[in-house]
Amino acid sequence: MTTQPSAPSAPFARFVSAEVTRMASDTRFLVLMLGMPVGMYLLFTNLPGTSQSTGGLAPRVGAMISMAAFGAIGTALTATAPRLAQERTTGWMRQLRVLPMPGHRVVAAKVLAAMIWALPAIVLVFAAAELDHGIRLAAWRWCAIAVLLWLGTAPFAALGLLIGYLTDESSAFAVMYGVYLFLGAAGGLWIPVNALPAVLQRIARTLPSNRDAELGWSVAAAHGPSLVGAAILVAWLAAFTGAVVLVYRRATATR
Amino acid sequence: MTDVAVDFQGVRKEFGDVRAIDALDLEIRTGETVALLGANGAGKSTAVSLMLGILAPDAGEVRVLGEPPDRAVARGRIGVMLQDGGLMPGVSVASMLALVTSMYTTPRPVEQLLVEADLAHLASRRVDRLSGGQTQRLRFAVAVAGNPDVLVLDEPTAAMDAESRRSFWAHIRSFAADGRTVIFATHYLREADDVADRIVVLAAGRSVADGTPVQLKTVAGARTVRFTLGDESDAGLDRLPGVTAAEVHGTTAALRTVDVERTVRALLAAREQVPDLEVGGAELEDAVIALTGSSRTAPSRRFPHEGPDALPARSDDL
Repeated sequence: MTTQPSAPSAPFARFVSAEVTRMASDTRFLVLMLGMPVGMYLLFTNLPGTSQSTGGLAPRVGAMISMAAFGAIGTALTATAPRLAQERTTGWMRQLRVLPMPGHRVVAAKVLAAMIWALPAIVLVFAAAELDHGIRLAAWRWCAIAVLLWLGTAPFAALGLLIGYLTDESSAFAVMYGVYLFLGAAGGLWIPVNALPAVLQRIARTLPSNRDAELGWSVAAAHGPSLVGAAILVAWLAAFTGAVVLVYRRATATR
Repeated sequence: MTDVAVDFQGVRKEFGDVRAIDALDLEIRTGETVALLGANGAGKSTAVSLMLGILAPDAGEVRVLGEPPDRAVARGRIGVMLQDGGLMPGVSVASMLALVTSMYTTPRPVEQLLVEADLAHLASRRVDRLSGGQTQRLRFAVAVAGNPDVLVLDEPTAAMDAESRRSFWAHIRSFAADGRTVIFATHYLREADDVADRIVVLAAGRSVADGTPVQLKTVAGARTVRFTLGDESDAGLDRLPGVTAAEVHGTTAALRTVDVERTVRALLAAREQVPDLEVGGAELEDAVIALTGSSRTAPSRRFPHEGPDALPARSDDL
């Protein structure tokens, strides 16, 4: 009758799909986060004198991976930080707290939904590279790079949630964008890391943005992804997620 | 199945040096409709947060349906309408309800919720494009989506107009009629009086009165009959029907009564003349002071008058 026993995964899947579909109606998100990396890639690779190579890769391939990572990071951040800040203002996060969905599932669903949007950001840059510069890679290599870049965006989705908690609706986007630009520039996504000053190089190597793109650079350059890099990404993911779960509990526990 | 829906035992909750809930004992039985009545800052929202597991008590214990509040929430046994709760921005009304119902094991069907909330024609509208009244109805639909045993409402009508309130409380009554427990926080005496079968008056985090609306009104002696005594004797005034207290100030007698009509009839029958007879409106502040007066030292003892329909004078059934 009114009873409709549902598999335990059903609410999670519904939640992820609701998170994903509602972002499709956000034009600022679509234009800024999906369009901009493509534009930047085309700009960088078509300007004279910007042909520094990354990790022994042809500049156009290196920049393609950098911009794909940059785009993926941007979507992961935009899909989380301003959203969450808005949801805290409207009270949806408070309502969620008293619905039978545990906090860690809420966090996981939001991370996953943000990552789902990172996928087209990666694919669009790849498509632009293929179409504009005729870049050819083995199919498995395209896929491996995309999947690794994609997995590497998880820490940024968690970081976006953290920003969404630490800011408010009016400041979330600005703070997130500042962090985003920093991660892009200092992470060696705009200028190859070895073109950065020595101090910045050392910082870059600790940043998740650098280590995310590095996964792709390694596969494109035909040497396996660095385990140190993967470990650094996992560490950032754990740190951001832990902080988010902590703040989630605390944020709803205040009057 | 326990027959105690909500149980507070010696609960204390402090925020800094503010004691929001102080040694609160409260047992709400299954099937009761209980109003937590109090002024702003009396501890209503804190009590609600404690029974939902949003806050943990500093001392004492809170149990809901025999288990910790967190667990009762996780098992989907409590439906909640928070004062500052909201809806998921950017999704449609129907997908919002589909999402919420999917979280429960025995939800109400989405179609039924839409019809009950009078939102069937707006099923595909985005929730952030609903009017205020529609938003409130959807929030109520979200609260009852899981067919909860206990419904907790924190100042549910604060943002509603008179018409929305009426239909809202009609929904609550039919929900409660199924033998479910309803607990709502309010600072509107009329709502507590009309809807609840038990009123718990909170002041400074304590329960200062607890009983049926009729009992509370009796204790509070909500109305005052005044007349000019002149030279006549004041003997027997306090024995008139309905009178709970009689005072004489100079030449004026003031009778506190729970039954204006019988008091006045008896007064007119007993005296040749009753000059300047006057019945004080529902002096809610007096009533609340009578209930909360001796229990606290804080300066504000009054219920706030908020808006024209906040605390109306009732001339009918007191």
